Amino acid sequence: MSRRPPRGEYIETDTGNKVARKATLVGTQNIMLGGKTVIQPEVMIRGDLARSVPSSSSTASSSGAAGGAPPNNTAVAIGRYCFLSRGCCLRPPGRLYKGAFTYMPLRMGDHVYIGPGTVVQAASIGSHVHIGQRVVVGEFAIIKDYVRILDETVVPPNMVIPSFSIVAGQPARVVGEVPEGGHEAFELRELYKTVGNNPQPAPS
Amino acid sequence: MAPLTPYTFIQCPCSDPSTLASSRPADASSPTSISGQERDDDDGRTFDPRAPRSNYSLYPLEYLLYCEDCHQIRCPRCVSEEIVTYYCPNCLFEVPSSNLKSEGNRCTRSCFQCPICIGPLGVTSLEKPADANLLAAPDNAASPPSGPYILICSYCNWSSTEIGIQFDKPNSIHAQLAKMRNGGVTRLTAKERKEKRREAAAQSGTGVPPTAAPTTTGGDGQDLDVEAQFANLKHFYQGQLADANAAGASSLSSLGDLGFASPNSLSRIMSIYTGGSLHDKKAKTRVGTMREALDSDEGFKLADLDESGAIEKLHEEGYDGTVSSEQLSNQPPNVGEVQLHGRSRFASELRPIPYLLRTKRSKRCPICRHIISKPEAKVQTTRFRIRLVAGSYIPSIAIRPLPGGGPPPDTLQPLRPAQFLLTFKNPIFETVKVTLASPATTPGRFASKVTVLCPQFEIDANTDVWDEALNKDGDKERRRRKGEDSGSGPAGGGQAEAGKIWERGRNWVSIVVEVVPASLRPPTISFGKKEDTGPLREDEDVLEIPMFVRVEWEVDAGGDEVGSVPSKDKDKEAKEKRELAYWCVLGLGRVSQG
Ligand SMILES: [Zn+2]
Ligand SMILES: [Zn+2]
Ligand SMILES: [Zn+2]
Ligand SMILES: [Zn+2]
Repeated sequence: MSRRPPRGEYIETDTGNKVARKATLVGTQNIMLGGKTVIQPEVMIRGDLARSVPSSSSTASSSGAAGGAPPNNTAVAIGRYCFLSRGCCLRPPGRLYKGAFTYMPLRMGDHVYIGPGTVVQAASIGSHVHIGQRVVVGEFAIIKDYVRILDETVVPPNMVIPSFSIVAGQPARVVGEVPEGGHEAFELRELYKTVGNNPQPAPS
Repeated sequence: MAPLTPYTFIQCPCSDPSTLASSRPADASSPTSISGQERDDDDGRTFDPRAPRSNYSLYPLEYLLYCEDCHQIRCPRCVSEEIVTYYCPNCLFEVPSSNLKSEGNRCTRSCFQCPICIGPLGVTSLEKPADANLLAAPDNAASPPSGPYILICSYCNWSSTEIGIQFDKPNSIHAQLAKMRNGGVTRLTAKERKEKRREAAAQSGTGVPPTAAPTTTGGDGQDLDVEAQFANLKHFYQGQLADANAAGASSLSSLGDLGFASPNSLSRIMSIYTGGSLHDKKAKTRVGTMREALDSDEGFKLADLDESGAIEKLHEEGYDGTVSSEQLSNQPPNVGEVQLHGRSRFASELRPIPYLLRTKRSKRCPICRHIISKPEAKVQTTRFRIRLVAGSYIPSIAIRPLPGGGPPPDTLQPLRPAQFLLTFKNPIFETVKVTLASPATTPGRFASKVTVLCPQFEIDANTDVWDEALNKDGDKERRRRKGEDSGSGPAGGGQAEAGKIWERGRNWVSIVVEVVPASLRPPTISFGKKEDTGPLREDEDVLEIPMFVRVEWEVDAGGDEVGSVPSKDKDKEAKEKRELAYWCVLGLGRVSQG
């Protein structure tokens, strides 16, 4: 929580990702970052929990790759301008599939903010989503675009949260609707600039 | 107490502020309601953010829309909404509005909420995939698990077995559930019930006395469920009404007409419960009394006053076995369960809750009826065809305590001056002139002093970001010409000065507001006046400043009006003045009570 981080606290990649050296990324070969994403210290991403049953069956939704594509082992896919706050954890959800236990990928769109201390086991999170602090998102939850999850919410496994919902409580329930004028507040471009090795002050 | 983040709420013009001032005659002792009124006499209004009515007219900027034809702010309270799409929030399927009339406002697929905790319910096979681990053969294990199926809550682990319900198929749970009572007893559909009635009628027609008939529901009617009873009663009374009509008595309606047994009352009640289909224009002509239902075929049922079962259940299950009022209110209506006509008392009587449908709505200006917000109809898209939000027309106001010049930001100290920075950001492509007015002291029992150091300023247009980068020097020059400040940095070397803005940027300006918070001690002595000496009310320690904001700018005349022809000769002078003025309230923080 020190105001002046030591120099080089973050590793900044060519695509603009800022990954804290003190973040724990397990199974990095299965973690996809879209670029311009911030990963703060003490964040954990479990890329090692990759799918163990091949997804070649007709029932699985193909991820669009043409025939002959290499097996897709992505465990966690993160879009652009996502912000993973200190101490949050991304963990792919797992279940029995055709009699065998397997993990399924956790996919996340653009401009997703995940608050400090939050645990996410969703199947998918859309774009422009704000998840507060100390939230638990249960396994295989589906969160659509423009959703705001307030602090300390517990989203039950398999819950679907439609777009423009404001969600709170244990278990989570929709408590409000994102107003028309509230769409721009989900943008994380400015927040991105405020962290890293050369952080800029927040705009007034 | 949780620290308060500064906020700005804006008042929509739909709540006439002139009524607000007069709505608090009891507060005549408040210093501003008199002096404020005098000051704002020219437009004859003042504004108290603590007035009870203000609750309903103040909104954060994000919640406000803007009508381009009226050039006015519109709020959720005054816009008229039209439903574009109905959809289930769980399966995200659209529900055609024609289905709503027949099937109601809940999802009729397999989407249910837990009656205990409202978590989502999932369908699972009761049959365990027993040998999955031993004979792990993914290929032949692909045969789908067979029934029976149950609904299970992923949050609290409640399952439909607790109310004795299992399903044969994993899909169309709603239809299956509609045919089942708790405990697995079959529930007749309306059609089946009708047929049964007909059979019963046929039997009784053959001379068998209805009471003796062991057919439908048993002689004493104890097995008669609510729906069957209603159907029977309805049939019985319809017959009675028909008889009364046929009798055609013609005397005037009398007092006896108001009794339960009168045809008039009955047809009125029945038209309430059956959607008016029984409403009869000739009702006035009917008098007399009719007999009541006598047996179960006519809908007669002895009230079950024996509560020993319920008491025993209470002994067994205790408080945990009963339902909370919240759980009850979450229950879908017309459950049709026997107990108390659908009002359950025990958790075992609850039903899974089909998801209530959600809507996408478009919004119209209440004055000119133009659409000011319209989402695309498709459920899965988040785009809008029209979205005129106030945030793209009026300046936003951000508040933060001025570093250095003030107390710790979480609380304000009474009688200690504190400075706050208000940053106005201009969203439009024209330079705007902003004029601020606020009462010298805040309204209410505790009058804090307020000084806006720079109540009048201009904000540059919201030009392209690249313009700013390219014209940085030009910008500075322009500013110097205006003689407002000596650069883009804080004015006067970090010292707030009256009449000067604090800092400015591309399309924003910061100014300083100084407050001297009042002491929060309620007056102990009242000087003959109706002084309010009560204790501190909820949130009365929050320092709120009412502020009147006037924004003026110029637009090309007719430039954005539809159908107007821009005339070239008077193009240069053709600048039209625009003005928008509104009240807002700035919440700065809590005043310490020490
Ligand atoms: Zn309004
Ligand atoms: Zn549904
Ligand atoms: Zn539950
Ligand atoms: Zn209008």
